[in-house]
Amino acid sequence: MTGVCVALLFYLGLDVVLHGYLLGTDITEVSTTLYGNVEEFVEPILLDSLLLQVHIDLFMSLFSIMIIASMYIRLFSTKPSTKRLVHTLFTFGLAAPLALLIAYFTSVEFIYSWGVSFLFVHLLAMGMALAIIKKLLFK
Amino acid sequence: MKNLKLYHIPIAYMLVYVVAILATGVWLFLLSQGLGTTDITQTLTKVVTFPEPKSLHNFIEVATPHLFAMGTLIFVVAHFMLFSTKISQRFSLRISVLLFIVALLNIAAYLLIITGVVVSGWIKLFSMGLFILLFLLLLGMVAFSL
Repeated sequence: MTGVCVALLFYLGLDVVLHGYLLGTDITEVSTTLYGNVEEFVEPILLDSLLLQVHIDLFMSLFSIMIIASMYIRLFSTKPSTKRLVHTLFTFGLAAPLALLIAYFTSVEFIYSWGVSFLFVHLLAMGMALAIIKKLLFK
Repeated sequence: MKNLKLYHIPIAYMLVYVVAILATGVWLFLLSQGLGTTDITQTLTKVVTFPEPKSLHNFIEVATPHLFAMGTLIFVVAHFMLFSTKISQRFSLRISVLLFIVALLNIAAYLLIITGVVVSGWIKLFSMGLFILLFLLLLGMVAFSL
């Protein structure tokens, strides 16, 4: 279990970096990626490419979150906050890719929603993974 | 479900995620067949009469991750039926095995079109439709068992 958690910690960290490269690291860059920039002759991302990213993100989120949530429930089932944490993790994990897709069709406000959900779910998952490792190594 | 404590929460969310994955997958397929320029009826007709030509390289690029992802996803969803107390294991097993076979047919369907074994794209539409229906049935069974 510790090995899986360490691997997931690396995955979650690198996933943030990967999305930074693919979409941009701030709102201006992400807006340019999604909507293009007429002045700089930058074309907007193709719907096929964005949808493929969302499709992959949903799959990867499902598996990474599912593994972390299952281990967390096994080790912290008696804690009253566990139920709320698991609900939050799954809700934001689903909201992030969907917000990115909605942002493509609507407005820049949803880019903020995507940014917040994306970073929050990654930080929360990393925190839960660290709590699992701590519990396993220092019982 | 047998005594699962809080495990029903991840299982329930998993069902929603899988529906979203299936929906984006179908959308991606239809986009690759020209949905962006024509409406859905025309796109479906086009898939049947003249499916978008693909190279073997394109096929392998799509098939390889899907073989892993679809196989794993079916396995994970289907294994929850082992804990079901409402639906018989025999029925669950039949649906799961059928789903694995249809998933393989769905992935390989375009290979049949590329190699010219079938000229029409009906096989792709048929296998994809059957795959979605069976997967939704399995998800419904898991939801019913929760």
